[in-house]
Amino acid sequence: MIASLPSIDLLAGSGRTPWHRASALTKLLLVLGIVGLAVFTPSLRLLAALAALALALAVSARVPAKLVATALAYPSMIALVFVVASWDGAWGPAARLLLRPTTSSLAALWLVATTPYPDLFAPISRLLPRAIGDGLFITYRALFELIGRAERMWRSLRIRGGGRVPARQRLGAAGDGLATLVLYAFERSQRLYATMHLRGHSGRICGCRHYAELTRADLLVGATALAVAAMGVTLGGAS
Amino acid sequence: MAHLHIPDGVLSWVIWAPALLLALSMLAVSSWALRDRGPQGVAYQGALGALVLAAMALEIPLGPFEYHLTLIGPVGVLLGPWAAFQVMFVTSAMLSFIGHGGLTVIGLNAVILGAGAAAASVVYGALPGRSRPAAMAAGTAAGQAISGLLWLLVMSWGLAARGWAARHPGGAERFGVIAGVALPMWVVGVVIETTVAFGIARFLARVRPDLLPGATTHAAAPLGETA
Repeated sequence: MIASLPSIDLLAGSGRTPWHRASALTKLLLVLGIVGLAVFTPSLRLLAALAALALALAVSARVPAKLVATALAYPSMIALVFVVASWDGAWGPAARLLLRPTTSSLAALWLVATTPYPDLFAPISRLLPRAIGDGLFITYRALFELIGRAERMWRSLRIRGGGRVPARQRLGAAGDGLATLVLYAFERSQRLYATMHLRGHSGRICGCRHYAELTRADLLVGATALAVAAMGVTLGGAS
Repeated sequence: MAHLHIPDGVLSWVIWAPALLLALSMLAVSSWALRDRGPQGVAYQGALGALVLAAMALEIPLGPFEYHLTLIGPVGVLLGPWAAFQVMFVTSAMLSFIGHGGLTVIGLNAVILGAGAAAASVVYGALPGRSRPAAMAAGTAAGQAISGLLWLLVMSWGLAARGWAARHPGGAERFGVIAGVALPMWVVGVVIETTVAFGIARFLARVRPDLLPGATTHAAAPLGETA
């Protein structure tokens, strides 16, 4: 899934659906509402409705099916461990265990696939200590370059027969390769620091202020939030 | 195995809510502990956080399985426990947005990974007489072991919190089966991460020893962080 981040980032920046035009803040609040309901509700019908809604959100945001499947695979795998461990022949608890993480994962995917990262991180970074907020931006900016370098390094190791040597040698070579990436990360951080300094860094990286600018597309997010609230009221008590 | 991030909704709030509070408290404490760190340190920390995510994307083929690295040991050693915890929080937060972990369990995942990174840093620092690669390997082994152990504890606590053992007399045996599958994966994870960490430290000791804390070098501690 981490390797899919560049595709998600591209989708977030270039998508043309109404979800992409809505503000980050309202989408973030909607996702928190969906996740909160999914985690706490005992109602299977509400969970099923939320899962369907989260899937509809992802599909309507034109998230590719492969990304949706990848976002579903990992939480399902961990949830299955719990299903197996607590299986008592009843399908209800098993379905809850599977629906909760998958609903949450789909809602989060919809959010990141429709929101450029500066808009997404800006409200979050305001709630966190300065260094951690800055860390979000810097980590994300460095990520794609490092993923690209790591993949190239890995490919070259394989091409040169790195996959055929004994595991100990293979891991040692991986260590050498990753150490070059540590060096690169260090040098990159120095360049970044110099750039920040030149641009008059004042001690905090400020995300853009678009995250709270409401547009007409936010009406759609608001309507969805109302639908979620209605689901919670009407289905929340049912099991 | 330490980076099998736990997703939303499988654990009771009794487990993840205190962990979230603990993580937020640790963020506050770490920010205070690192208050003298310059922007260059923050930039290095961010770059290493990106490296952690990039390493997690790599697949090391091991027969029928593929292993994904975490680098919690090297990051703990290179940055120290507090900065490494911040890195683990940031990476857990980012991963939660792509379904690799969960929004409610960011704190728990960060605490599990951060504890491993802190253990690596402490063990590395406690072996001043050893060669730096050996100390890095020992620290990584300890960190990976701690993280894996915490993960297993949380998983078993999660099952216990659901009351399954009380309801089902055969439940303990069933968890035993899961632990029987997870434990070998854990051991394999410790071996892989340790070997890779040794390679990283060996390379850095040759090329940029000043990046390794405690290495005999002409250079100052990296980034001017407080000792």
